[in-house]
Amino acid sequence: MTDRSYATVNPCIMCQPIGSVMAFKGIENSMVLLHGSQGCSTYMRLHLAHHFREPVDIGSSSLSEKGAVYGGSENLKKGLKNLILRYDPKVIGISTTCLAETIGDDIGRIIAEFKEEEEEIASERIIIPVSTPSYEDSHNSGYIKAVEAIVKEFTATDESGSDIFNNKLNVVLSENVSPEDTRELRRILSDIIGTNSFILLPDISETFDAPITGELQKIFPGGTSHSDISDMKNSAAMIGLGITNVNRAVSYLEQTFDIPSQNLPLPIGLEYTDRLVAALSMIAGTDILEAYQKERGRLIDAMVDAHKYIYGTKVAIYGDPDNVLGILSLALENGMHPILVVASSKSPGFAEYAMERVGQVKPDCNVTILEDVDFDAFNDAVKKAKPEMLIGNSNGKYIAKEMGIPLVRVGFPIHDRVGAQRILSLGYLGAMNMLDRVTNTILEAQEEKLVAKWSEPDRYAPLDREFHITEA
Amino acid sequence: MPEIISVVNTLDERQPYIALKQAKRNDTALACDSTSLAGAMSQRACVYSGARVALNPVTDAVHLVHGPIGCASYTWDIRGSLSSAKETFRTSFSSNMKELDVVFGGEKKLSKCIEELVGLYDPPVVFVYSTCIVGIIGDDLQAVCKEASRIHNIPVIAVHSEGFKGTKSDGYKAACNALMQLIGTREPEITSPYTMNILGDYNVAGDVWLVKPLFEKMGIQVITSMTGDATCETISQAHRARLNLVQCSGSMTYLAKWMHQEYGIPFRKVSYFGIEDIAIALRTAADFFGSQEMKQIAEEIIESETRRIMPEIQSIRNRLQGKTAAIYMGGAAKALTLIKGFRELGMEVVIIGTQTGKKDDYEQISYQVKDGTVIVDDANPLELADLLRRQKADLMVAGVKERFLAYKLGVAFCDFNHDRVIEFEGYDGFLNFARELDASMNSPVWKAYGSRLQPAVGSANSTENFSRRANQRAEHEEAVKERENMQDHNTTTLQESVA
Repeated sequence: MTDRSYATVNPCIMCQPIGSVMAFKGIENSMVLLHGSQGCSTYMRLHLAHHFREPVDIGSSSLSEKGAVYGGSENLKKGLKNLILRYDPKVIGISTTCLAETIGDDIGRIIAEFKEEEEEIASERIIIPVSTPSYEDSHNSGYIKAVEAIVKEFTATDESGSDIFNNKLNVVLSENVSPEDTRELRRILSDIIGTNSFILLPDISETFDAPITGELQKIFPGGTSHSDISDMKNSAAMIGLGITNVNRAVSYLEQTFDIPSQNLPLPIGLEYTDRLVAALSMIAGTDILEAYQKERGRLIDAMVDAHKYIYGTKVAIYGDPDNVLGILSLALENGMHPILVVASSKSPGFAEYAMERVGQVKPDCNVTILEDVDFDAFNDAVKKAKPEMLIGNSNGKYIAKEMGIPLVRVGFPIHDRVGAQRILSLGYLGAMNMLDRVTNTILEAQEEKLVAKWSEPDRYAPLDREFHITEA
Repeated sequence: MPEIISVVNTLDERQPYIALKQAKRNDTALACDSTSLAGAMSQRACVYSGARVALNPVTDAVHLVHGPIGCASYTWDIRGSLSSAKETFRTSFSSNMKELDVVFGGEKKLSKCIEELVGLYDPPVVFVYSTCIVGIIGDDLQAVCKEASRIHNIPVIAVHSEGFKGTKSDGYKAACNALMQLIGTREPEITSPYTMNILGDYNVAGDVWLVKPLFEKMGIQVITSMTGDATCETISQAHRARLNLVQCSGSMTYLAKWMHQEYGIPFRKVSYFGIEDIAIALRTAADFFGSQEMKQIAEEIIESETRRIMPEIQSIRNRLQGKTAAIYMGGAAKALTLIKGFRELGMEVVIIGTQTGKKDDYEQISYQVKDGTVIVDDANPLELADLLRRQKADLMVAGVKERFLAYKLGVAFCDFNHDRVIEFEGYDGFLNFARELDASMNSPVWKAYGSRLQPAVGSANSTENFSRRANQRAEHEEAVKERENMQDHNTTTLQESVA
């Protein structure tokens, strides 16, 4: 709704703590405790449960007025203690909220005191603080900061692990992907690098998409194992997945332990998946596996099947920066016209990489790139650009409805449809899945248009009525 | 009152909040109405959330959240309240405070935000919610709002809902305090000698629209429904009602009491859920106004509507008879009316809990449920899980956070929170409720719950054949392994290839 410089209307981002929660949930036997008032944890639990359709437990130090005035130390310690007594996690992430940051609690000192005072229950725990005030950046940076804090903690205070070279590959995500995507990544890595030759962090494939077993586990099994995270410093090589933001965990490991690294885009679409598969094959010292040549061939077959339906379709893509970059790449290489490309938060690399990809595939393409905007600004841009479809999270449903155009849902959050945890967009299979969904959506819209067109009374009338009658 | 014993395994400090109703036992009051225990994983939210859910359905207001972005993100259109006019309330407005605003204060930015939004949306009222951080840095919300009201010539109302300053109930009060500033500022057009307000109904999925017409049929003018499908205008005329009917008592009794004191409007607590409670609500209104004609219309409505839905209710009841239910609600009013609703469907409640119940509420609940029922305040997921198992509940009725917990435990579920998409009030609403219970409890999916696939058992002959092949395979694998062991491992190392 026209220009605004102060108020935010329908935010595209969430706050840092929720990003940190998604990262911590990707570690084996871990819990998160938010240092702040009760509402923060409850709201994030709601938001995540809605999307993943799983029970999501996030602790809170439940700060009250007293805590806010005199400091939250007592509440935080009590929260830690109760969380340990009830859930018995090995790892506890403590993410700060705006409240805790502003009252200036010294989390490091509180943890040290807690470990001393509650030695009996605390000595074996790994407690990882991460500073994630809600008034800075977004959920995307919260994720990156938490992954960095996890890696630092495990590789610094290593009691269980060793310093022996392990000849493994570290793969570190810098943006949240779906559990299904995580499973697909694991499959690709297992096939090319070898089942026990890679360490993927974080890994929400089981923790945010747990099978029904007949009993409720307090903490769902799965996630990157502690020994693996400790062992990341002994790895031979490293790939950071996501290029729009600085992958702080990768930078840290590279600088501290001299592990050679490269950052690759999320493997969405043909080109970006090629880059990952080629890099992995190079690292493994093997030729491209025949099975993957076949998968790739089938993707290209699918692209050929779809090309005429999809060519030139004007699309607006929005969401978290690396996901958007990947979908942009997929859209471009299939001949779509990405008329509007929008990242939820500001990142150093997004605009540049997006333009680079446009330049590679369709240099004459007229693309508007926006970052760090709210949905209101996005909606205005949509109205101006007039795309024929949207690809992004469920928050785009309002404008899709208003414009009467379809929305293909992908990313986070998706609150109004089931199966968000199982949306596959990574790898050749993910590309096929997204391509089929997009194409079928276009076909459906076209069919409707066709019906509407020919059902208009004046569009078609038999030339001579009587002729038909006499024929009959 | 129920006896507090160690019903489930939980933290010692949580034990007083869980009790088992047993006859012939000494009185022990259930602990309640206090702040949540740190680390206990309360299902409650904060003061802000209470204020937000109670006030947000005001359809034509700009609801501006003064704070960092998260608080606005997580509450964007989360309540399924519907509007018959404007949809402004479904838009999420935030001052999006950044680090510099926290350091230097957010008052100026807030004023600018209000100015901008008033210019763009032309709302009749702006509610400005304070969040945790505002309470800490000490922005003078009151002063900013007062000034903005003066400049823009519309009510700009501060909602004092700093997250940490109490519980969700305090948020309800903050919302009521905000409504008080609107009530009495405009005069309605009176079209009937009988006027009333509906309080504590949020028009989730259109609930109000199933109830309001019943009162109108009885000749009553419903001035406003708070806050479901309410507008600034109707709220400001609420003082001209002769009666307030309060449904969600947890959130709106405070306002009803104030209206009684301020305008002499009496209030009655009612519920529009379940056949018996709807009838009571209609009769309560008719009795209050004392009109014979109205009483007769009420009876006619009750008679014909009940007759209309009964056949289907009866057939569903046959399928639900004897099943057990667990209730975990935000407020006690809904929990209480649900007990009756379940009975009308032949079901018995075995667990009942709330997030914000008070001492009186739990006394009433205890009076309503049968012996052996567990009553719990401010429960957490692990307690609920234990209770669902211990009490052998067939179905749970609660909100989203509990839904997936129940599913993982193989317990059917009914969403009775603000994000449901189907109406449960009035006669058709109760039918919807019954259908939903039926769908969840009688779905064939539960037959597969917790099962594991077993190997196929074939005829003796084929089993023998398979095992003969299996032996051969084992021998073959053994041979391959031996051969491999004799060779040197010469796989390419990652290091080599990287270098």
